[in-house]
Amino acid sequence: MSERPSKFATAFPDMTAGRWAISGVLIVIAALVPVVVSNEYAMTVLVTTLILLVLNISWNFVLGIAGVWNFGQLAIYALGGYGAGILMLHTSLSPWLALLAGGVVGAVAAILLAFPTLRLYGIYTSLLTFAFAEVIQYVILNDGSGLTGGSFGLPIVRGLFGTASIASANRSYYWTVLAVVVLATLAVAAVSRSSLGIALRGLRDAPAYAAARGVSPLKFRLIAFALSGFLAGIAGALYVSFNQSIDPGVMGLTPMSIDVTMLVIGGMGTITGPIIGTALLAIVQTALVSHPGAELTILGVFLLVVVVFVPGGIVGLVSRYRKRISTWVAEDDSGGDPAENDDDVQPEGSTEQSVA
Amino acid sequence: MSLSDIVGILVTTVILGSIYGLVAIGMTLIYGTLRILDMSQGSMVMVGSFIGWGILVVAGWNPIIAIVLAFVATFGLGTLTQLVSVQPLMKRMNSIDFEMVTFITTFAVAMILSNVALEVLGPQQRNVTPVISGGINVYHGVNLPYQSLTMAIVSVVMMAGLGIFLARTRWGMAIRAVAQDLDAARLMGVPVSKLYPLTMGLASALAGVAGVFLGGLYFAYPSAGDLPLLEALIVVIFGGLGSLPGTVYAAYAIGLIQAIAEVIVGETWSLPILYGVILLVLIFRPYGLLGKPSEARL
Repeated sequence: MSERPSKFATAFPDMTAGRWAISGVLIVIAALVPVVVSNEYAMTVLVTTLILLVLNISWNFVLGIAGVWNFGQLAIYALGGYGAGILMLHTSLSPWLALLAGGVVGAVAAILLAFPTLRLYGIYTSLLTFAFAEVIQYVILNDGSGLTGGSFGLPIVRGLFGTASIASANRSYYWTVLAVVVLATLAVAAVSRSSLGIALRGLRDAPAYAAARGVSPLKFRLIAFALSGFLAGIAGALYVSFNQSIDPGVMGLTPMSIDVTMLVIGGMGTITGPIIGTALLAIVQTALVSHPGAELTILGVFLLVVVVFVPGGIVGLVSRYRKRISTWVAEDDSGGDPAENDDDVQPEGSTEQSVA
Repeated sequence: MSLSDIVGILVTTVILGSIYGLVAIGMTLIYGTLRILDMSQGSMVMVGSFIGWGILVVAGWNPIIAIVLAFVATFGLGTLTQLVSVQPLMKRMNSIDFEMVTFITTFAVAMILSNVALEVLGPQQRNVTPVISGGINVYHGVNLPYQSLTMAIVSVVMMAGLGIFLARTRWGMAIRAVAQDLDAARLMGVPVSKLYPLTMGLASALAGVAGVFLGGLYFAYPSAGDLPLLEALIVVIFGGLGSLPGTVYAAYAIGLIQAIAEVIVGETWSLPILYGVILLVLIFRPYGLLGKPSEARL
């Protein structure tokens, strides 16, 4: 892996050859899963989880890396899904173009949502965006024009692999969504290490200082919303295509609780956090699938415990321990005198820990 | 718009405003003292509705018992919520993400409460007997059910009671002192660690009482708190977080906007219209009607 182009190396400074190798092996293993798994129910669960992962990557970008408390992401996801679904239903456009169109719908919706939040700070942003999501859900539920199908959702949409058999369609979806996940993770990692990412984190951690140094809050918040909205829209389009339908149930408090728990448990503002959190909670959810009430109760307890005792989530915990061990080793090497106290707990996903 | 429409709008405004006020004032009280947005307030409404159902329908007792029991139970639950989800985080109070972190922990409590209710009591909607049945005819065709009237009166009395409690009593003044200046309050000997659970218990109790009445208007079911939570959120943004007078004005202003929207465009679009109005308010006054920027509060 050492002969990678230097441009690539500068885009991902944290990625050593070993880390590239591990990531590559993991991706290959993930890509081989459908060859081994023959159970169609398991395949459906896997694809659904991967689609959720795309959504969580997009949400993590705006919530964790850009630090904008956007709780309207599910509405953007749903709008992207409805946009793509309606195009697939009523036009003869290629479904792949409809998928992209879903992303564009998401980006446009996100930009429109970004404008009223520009002057807001902290908790007011989350209130406004949360209210936005509730209203979008309310409007779709009560839509009398028949465009969205109200609470029943869109009728059967043909999807990306319309004529294929269930087994081969499931596999095609799996590989498609896995590719989107890999691309999205690479894109978010590259962006968060670029000057754009530095600007976003600057605006997150010290808004007044960053603005005073010439980082435009307007420009960068719009870019952050547009990027994450595009990804969320793609996720929604993948959802509608895979499920051949979408209904207002994809929004609301319950799905939002699950997604937030995934992000917080994995480690918000990190690159690998959403992947770990989504995978972990998908396993918990699958294990508890016959007890819907117990499932969310347990997720709630998880969420509470992680936020109170493990700030930074699993990724934060791992990188804190690794840092402690390396400081320890360094102290030993330099003769035992502790050079500096490295015990301070940093805010979630600050620059030092944001790529794990 | 005929005269009966206008009377109808006024009646609806008073009723809606009073309910919104009762739920939202607790959130404001909590935000003012603890600087957290308590997402578990909606669940307290749900718990109140179920207590109303249990006392009035299952046990068949007096509504006053239901109200008192709802007050006591949600007071305890709110105190417990504070001890579990906020108190362990208080040492991080001055960090930049304190509001976000407590937003998530109280949200987790809301998740736990409504899903325990789902698991124990099932998803079906339970009819709660109105506290008082019947109604009076205010004007041609405008009917005012006694249930709504009682609810409005109880809400106003409780809001006034809260105002007197905060203005006159020792504990009330302690809460205001903490809201104004935490360090000074500590130096004057205010037992802050006891005060925080008390504040959250009190706020939750208001939501619980609102729940008994709301259960009579709608139903008691595990997600019965979601809509009141959303409405309370809208009210507290509109009024400005942490401002009690602002919240009361905002509750009635929101009630008025919703009542007018219901008459003109129908119930379906009243919530989106409300949202549009809030959007405009926030664009011109980013901290609500009477809110102060948090930099200025600190």
